[in-house]
Amino acid sequence: MSEEVATLALERVSKKFDDFVAVDELSLEVHAGRIFGLIGPNGAGKTTTIRMIVNILAPDSGSIKLFGERMSERLQDRIGYLPEERGLYKKMRVGEQLRYFGELKGLSAREADAQLDRWLARLKLSEWKTHKTDELSKGMQQKIQFIATVMHSPDLLILDEVFSGLDPVNAELLKDVLLELKAERRTIIFSTHMMSQAEQLCDDICLINRSRKVLEGSLREVKSSFGRRAVALRAEGAEGALQDARLVSSVKPYGDYVEALLADGADAQELLHRLVETGARVTRFEQVEPSLHDIFLQKVGESA
Amino acid sequence: MKKLLVIIKREYWNRLRTKSFIITTLLGPFIIVSSAVVPGLLFSMKTGGASKVVVVDETGRLYEAVRESLLRRGDGGGNDAKRAPDSTAAPPSDREAQMRKAGEALEAHYEVTQVATGGRTLEEVKADLNGRGVRGELDVYLVIPKDILEQNGKVEYHARNLSDVITKLQVQDRLNRAIIEQRMRDANIDNARVRELNRQAGMSEFKIKEGAEERGDGGSSFGLAMFVGIFIYMGILMYGQVILSAVVEEKTTRVSEVLFSSVRPFHLMMGKLVGVSLVAITQYAVWAVLFGVFTLYGVGMMAASGMDVALPRMPLSFFIYALLFFVVGFLMYATIYVLVGSMVTTEKEAGQMIMPLIFLSVISIYMAFPVIRNPNSTFAFWVSIAPFFSPITMLVRIVTETPPFWQIALSLGVGLASVVLFVWAAARIYRVGMLMYGKSASIPEVLRWIRQT
Repeated sequence: MSEEVATLALERVSKKFDDFVAVDELSLEVHAGRIFGLIGPNGAGKTTTIRMIVNILAPDSGSIKLFGERMSERLQDRIGYLPEERGLYKKMRVGEQLRYFGELKGLSAREADAQLDRWLARLKLSEWKTHKTDELSKGMQQKIQFIATVMHSPDLLILDEVFSGLDPVNAELLKDVLLELKAERRTIIFSTHMMSQAEQLCDDICLINRSRKVLEGSLREVKSSFGRRAVALRAEGAEGALQDARLVSSVKPYGDYVEALLADGADAQELLHRLVETGARVTRFEQVEPSLHDIFLQKVGESA
Repeated sequence: MKKLLVIIKREYWNRLRTKSFIITTLLGPFIIVSSAVVPGLLFSMKTGGASKVVVVDETGRLYEAVRESLLRRGDGGGNDAKRAPDSTAAPPSDREAQMRKAGEALEAHYEVTQVATGGRTLEEVKADLNGRGVRGELDVYLVIPKDILEQNGKVEYHARNLSDVITKLQVQDRLNRAIIEQRMRDANIDNARVRELNRQAGMSEFKIKEGAEERGDGGSSFGLAMFVGIFIYMGILMYGQVILSAVVEEKTTRVSEVLFSSVRPFHLMMGKLVGVSLVAITQYAVWAVLFGVFTLYGVGMMAASGMDVALPRMPLSFFIYALLFFVVGFLMYATIYVLVGSMVTTEKEAGQMIMPLIFLSVISIYMAFPVIRNPNSTFAFWVSIAPFFSPITMLVRIVTETPPFWQIALSLGVGLASVVLFVWAAARIYRVGMLMYGKSASIPEVLRWIRQT
């Protein structure tokens, strides 16, 4: 893409557990200031990949380079990792807990205190600083965990299912924070099963399935490469046309309209023609980009 | 390295500040001392006033002597006569003697009355007395048979409560004395003279040593060694459990995954081991000081009240060895606790997996006994070198018959080497095990983790 060194570059990385191949020859690049979506079904190898990136696991082969360097303990301090399964000490007070995590990322106690105060205020949790962690609600704990991930100002953030357990208000708050971080040219790797979230936030995506990469690129490229293969349709008496397998491969109802995915070789114009022919009353006919959700389903289905 | 210190600091301070730590540290010695003393005190407590004793004297000659003997205070009977002047500090040899002493300390009171048969048969008298006993008018009645002075008759002891062993023993003691003295009077033997001649010969102890002879201390140094050994063992069990739950907590709350992205698993594990060991050492240091104060104060009190107390004579080197063996032994066991903690998914499972280790530590306490009898046997040698056993058995050997220095050094060396080995293996298991959720690891799996690079 550009001449600048990729924030993160994986080259033919593989990891086996006994006979099970968790990650197979995976290569990918993540660039500074972008939000990168690592998506895939359960068991695809996302967590293993992330664990290798954050230096919890070592790859069997291939190389992982962070900021152009081989992974090392020193580089760990420049990463913030929020695992899917949250991990906080239940009996520790929020402030002490965050200071500990900050110090483990190389902050001095004083720096850690300053940062945690700033972040607690930003996420509206200041009054909970002296409470024990298990007195907090799940959503609040989630935000604490997020602070632990970002308080040392990492250049690379790895967030695994960061929105789970958050109500819409807090999810929005967190999204704003992520966009701010992005504006500071921090790189974010975002792993999720929630395609709608990935679609809203990600610049680039990488879809992995069964330990292999099946799709990669900027969200825009990926979508356009799938073409405008779907039609949003609201019509009365459209059943006949939609059941024609030569035209339509699948139909999904969405509230007051349906989304029809065109069959290979079929054309939207053809479908419209057919609808009119069969006497359907069309009130909406719109060619839409396939959603990430559809792409996901199709790609995962293909490689299965 | 800086991060290791951060971890140690957290493990140390967070435990030190807990209420439970502060309470056990300050009250521990009181609890231990009182748990040794209180049951005895409670057992010997006599509530509900004097025991009413009724004597049926068929000899017709013994009542006065028995009554006098029962009412005599502060002088418990046969036991006192046996006591040689030099052995006041010797502990009572058995439980019975201890109970007698406890009873005397509280001076049970008796009301003694006589019942004359008055022409009735013995059966009739007993029936009458049983009735009075049931109504609560008497506690104990004794039937002294006619032939008690000449032949081997037996006194009948009837009591409402036969479980009151203290009263029973005291009555038996005093009754015996009265009867024996009566027999002597009958044989024209001077009682006072017999008592004087009957006193026991004392025995002073010396330990065989080169140079100046050293006076023994009546087994109290051995007592101290056992005490220290059991303390080490307690520390291992208590703090092993602490480490185990800390590891399992980090695993079940998944904190380990966050931590592993910041620090090396090895640092996390070592931080935990060192931090918790420091907590244990802190607690033991406080206890040692408190016990020291207790002992000095207690000995001072006893000395002031005229008792001759033999303090254990322990060279300073013993305490240094004790500390060294404590640290080595603790790390040896604690590492295994870490290892098990990273293998399992719940503390309950951990409890089952740790059982063999607890057996090992119990066995090492038992090993101490044959070692005491024969501290220089081949058995004692091997047992005091073997890891897991050495922290306790070697200490016992050092106290009983200090082995050559090379043996102590070898034992410490083997201990340290096994600590290093265990830490190495545990680190390899820990970094994999801490990220395995869902099921506990099997032994073959764990062996594979160790071999993996």
